[in-house]
Amino acid sequence: MNPSLKLFLALIISLEITFTTHLTGNILIIVAALAYLILSRVPVTKIIKPLLITLIPAAALFSTIAFFSPEHNVRFAWVLVSRLYCYVSVGAAVTLTTPKLDLIHSLEQNCHLPSKFAYGFLAALNLIPRIIQAVKSIRVAGEMRGVTLHWWSPTLYFKAILAAISWADQLAQAMETHGFVEGAPRTAAQVIPLRKVDWACFVVILIVIQLILIALP
Amino acid sequence: MHKHTFHLRDIILLALIAIIFGVIYYATGFIYNALTVALTPVGYGPMANDITIGIWCMAGPLAGFLLRIPGSSFLGEFLGAAVEMFLGNQWGAANLISGVVQGLGTELGFTLTLYKFYNWLTVILTSLTATFVTFGWDWFRNGYNHFAPHMLVVMLVVRFLSMFIFSGVLVKLIANLLKRAHVIKR
Repeated sequence: MNPSLKLFLALIISLEITFTTHLTGNILIIVAALAYLILSRVPVTKIIKPLLITLIPAAALFSTIAFFSPEHNVRFAWVLVSRLYCYVSVGAAVTLTTPKLDLIHSLEQNCHLPSKFAYGFLAALNLIPRIIQAVKSIRVAGEMRGVTLHWWSPTLYFKAILAAISWADQLAQAMETHGFVEGAPRTAAQVIPLRKVDWACFVVILIVIQLILIALP
Repeated sequence: MHKHTFHLRDIILLALIAIIFGVIYYATGFIYNALTVALTPVGYGPMANDITIGIWCMAGPLAGFLLRIPGSSFLGEFLGAAVEMFLGNQWGAANLISGVVQGLGTELGFTLTLYKFYNWLTVILTSLTATFVTFGWDWFRNGYNHFAPHMLVVMLVVRFLSMFIFSGVLVKLIANLLKRAHVIKR
């Protein structure tokens, strides 16, 4: 399925289940999303990890609603737990099956996201290892002067942002000297197709989900 | 100021700032889980969310103070959520929705000042709007409408304090440093 359509489908589902309280519907969505992940040959360990991490907020929500709220509404507590797992499984069904480059290219080509956003974002994303390194060196440099920079120290952010400003300037200049022009028409080396099949899939899944959410309790 | 559009450099910078906040917060990410575990037995488990929310929302106000373009706070917050999604945070695509909600919340505070002044009043306004918008979202998302009324009041106050301390005071202190370094123009 086309990456952008897949993303929009996940967003629509996530929004919709936020405002509905159908336990069976939520569970069916979770099962479908997990089945899709397994069929897409995503390693099982990668699927299980987010599910395990979610146990903590899920348990907290459940116990608060079921034991500490005035109504002790156990069914609603289960709805909330299933809702959290819907977010996680539907979200994973997009992020674990779609390479990020494909998704950004698709947003640019199929959804007309301005290229400055697509490539600006990608440029920043690729700097992540350097940012981690920079934050580490700022901290170590502080330690050498006997200053401990905690995560709540304004100085830590200040120094990191100064580095970010110079990187942003340099990167933008580098991209422009290599011929990147904001808003200019571009050709694509990797074309992401948006076929009729993709649209058909999108519409069918959307209709099925509406039916599930309306028909099931 | 006649610079009212985002250029390539601004977009890279906003994304970089979002990543910086993400990287620094990641190291303290255990706080959320530890708080949840500690608060659950007394029935306040979901309050971990209210205590830490100000930390999650720091990138937005900072972007607003730094670039001073309408929309920069929203964009800073949204790009932060997008980065989290791409890094494989457990919420996946749902991150984008939270990003939109938090971005709207912080942006609204700057809108109320008509993008004219950037002082402590702005800090209070963005903290207030961010608190109410995100609380409204959690009302539906996390079933806050089922909580006991006194608990809701406590959570709302705690959320505001968290927003004010982290997304307000801490961000303003960083912005002051940036201003003294002449990085923020005007």
